[in-house]
Amino acid sequence: MQLPAYYEFCNSVKTIVGHKALEQIPQSLKAINAQRPMIITDKGVEQAGLIKIVQAAMQKSKLKAAALFDSVPADSDVKVVNEVAKIYRAKKCDSIIAVGGGSVLDTAKGANILVSENATDLMQFVGYGNVKRKLRPFVAIPTTAGTGSEVTSVAVIANHEKNIKMAFGSLFLLPDIAIIDSRMTKTLPPTITAFTGMDALTHAVEAYFCLAKNPLSDTTALAAIQLIAQNLVNVVKKPSDLDGRLALALASNLAGMAFSNSMVGLVHNIGHAIGGVCGVPHGVCMNILLPYGLEYNMHKRSQYIGELLYPLAGEEVYNKTPKKERPLKTVEYIRKLIQDLHDATDGKHPRFLKEVYDRTGKQMIPKEKLPDIARTAMSDPAQFYNPEDLDYNDYIMVLEAAWEGIPLDRKKIKKG
Amino acid sequence: MNALQYPEIKPKKKFIKRIYIAVMLWVVGRAIQAAAKVDREVKEEFAKLKDNFLLKMWIWPNGPAMYVGKTKDGKVKYLGWKDKGYKPTLTMTIKSVEAAMLLFTFQEGTAISTARNRLVVDGDLPDACALVRILNIVEVYLLPKIIAKLAVKRYPKWSQMNPLRKHFGRILIYVRAFTF
Repeated sequence: MQLPAYYEFCNSVKTIVGHKALEQIPQSLKAINAQRPMIITDKGVEQAGLIKIVQAAMQKSKLKAAALFDSVPADSDVKVVNEVAKIYRAKKCDSIIAVGGGSVLDTAKGANILVSENATDLMQFVGYGNVKRKLRPFVAIPTTAGTGSEVTSVAVIANHEKNIKMAFGSLFLLPDIAIIDSRMTKTLPPTITAFTGMDALTHAVEAYFCLAKNPLSDTTALAAIQLIAQNLVNVVKKPSDLDGRLALALASNLAGMAFSNSMVGLVHNIGHAIGGVCGVPHGVCMNILLPYGLEYNMHKRSQYIGELLYPLAGEEVYNKTPKKERPLKTVEYIRKLIQDLHDATDGKHPRFLKEVYDRTGKQMIPKEKLPDIARTAMSDPAQFYNPEDLDYNDYIMVLEAAWEGIPLDRKKIKKG
Repeated sequence: MNALQYPEIKPKKKFIKRIYIAVMLWVVGRAIQAAAKVDREVKEEFAKLKDNFLLKMWIWPNGPAMYVGKTKDGKVKYLGWKDKGYKPTLTMTIKSVEAAMLLFTFQEGTAISTARNRLVVDGDLPDACALVRILNIVEVYLLPKIIAKLAVKRYPKWSQMNPLRKHFGRILIYVRAFTF
């Protein structure tokens, strides 16, 4: 285990995990002195009946939500944040319960900044460390097993009018309580389960081999990787497996803890750019790019990448594989996992960038967009934490390989 | 209770280290200005930055500091170490004198310093990415390979920076940085 000369780690979120963990909501709210919570969610979560489960759990103690906002869009937006804050104030709420995926949780974090700071303009809090005091009580209930937002100290909110994404970072953005209940992810379709699971895997893997790794984040990252390797394909094949669902939700939480402290690298760097240029869901990009991120950095981080084989493939495979071959075997194992997910979803889970289609069947990442993606990636700060440096030509090399679905030619990777 | 029994603990001033860091900031600032005239890549990076770009690099909480910005005619200028009411568009804060010493004695590169949360950036993140690329190039020019390799993630190969460009650029940057 690497012991860096210096590192930081923070996770102050009380995490409640279980098949009926939501039943703890009343007591949990009481503990943080919340009496008039506002529920923030999106239409999909509402229509799946998940809010009813939350409300039923609350009503057992005669606790009612003071307001319900169920119109968070897929891509969190500053206008929506303002609207949520307005309702929160009008209904005299005193706390927030966010039920949803990354967009809902980020919207709730943004709204919590506004109502706690009694502000109207989110822009003044953009950046790291600009939220400087404790915010209103905040409970996060994730409904996907991927983002890990319930334990991260960041939020990304778009301003579609100005065409920018605003990133907020502060330890005060960490929720007070995260509740992980297997019922919340039970209705996730197999394709979404597959790519959100790969998103969580990417968080854990990048946290483990990138520059800000540390012994504390390593521990959570390795546990997350093992849980995902053992459960993801099974749950995609059998969505009603509640134990598997709970394991994946916990893995996402652990991976969130890891990457919130150790940050991420090339895979997120390029993934953010593809999302920005082509509007491809984040998890889909992570899934496709993960093997390439490992291959690109292998000459610098072969030890750590080799160590990932243990939680991914298990003790037997790890011991049978000679040390020198473990890094490549790790990549091979992840490619096999992607192929298994592709097969388990009848080909709906894309393996390469050229295989990503929208609902109308249109290809989302045309090859001619790769230069735009590369240029956008050069402005994304996730590159800071990547072990190897990247220039425009390096981005193009990785993107072309990921588009075609061929492994990186590692001889072409420039080494300093 | 006699409050005088509990005197306020004041941090040591660390004069020598502060002087060393101030000199290094001056050298880097002047070298950025020089590199923006000499090196095509640095020139292009600055051209993409907004017209009012102004960098403040400083050591928290009391300095030293250095300011580099774009002038009205688009030239890149080292603006000194004094705050003359500047409004930086990008602030790079090094959290302590000790963190700055690690960085400026090349025991830690910029990337590791950032990963260890010793260096905090406030401002537009694309600008920060461009600035890191600029700093990397400047370090390659200023430092001998054996030291620069510690400071940057990847020392450029011939294909990225041929020896003619490197050595000729190095001479020009040193001359421009140290002459007024």
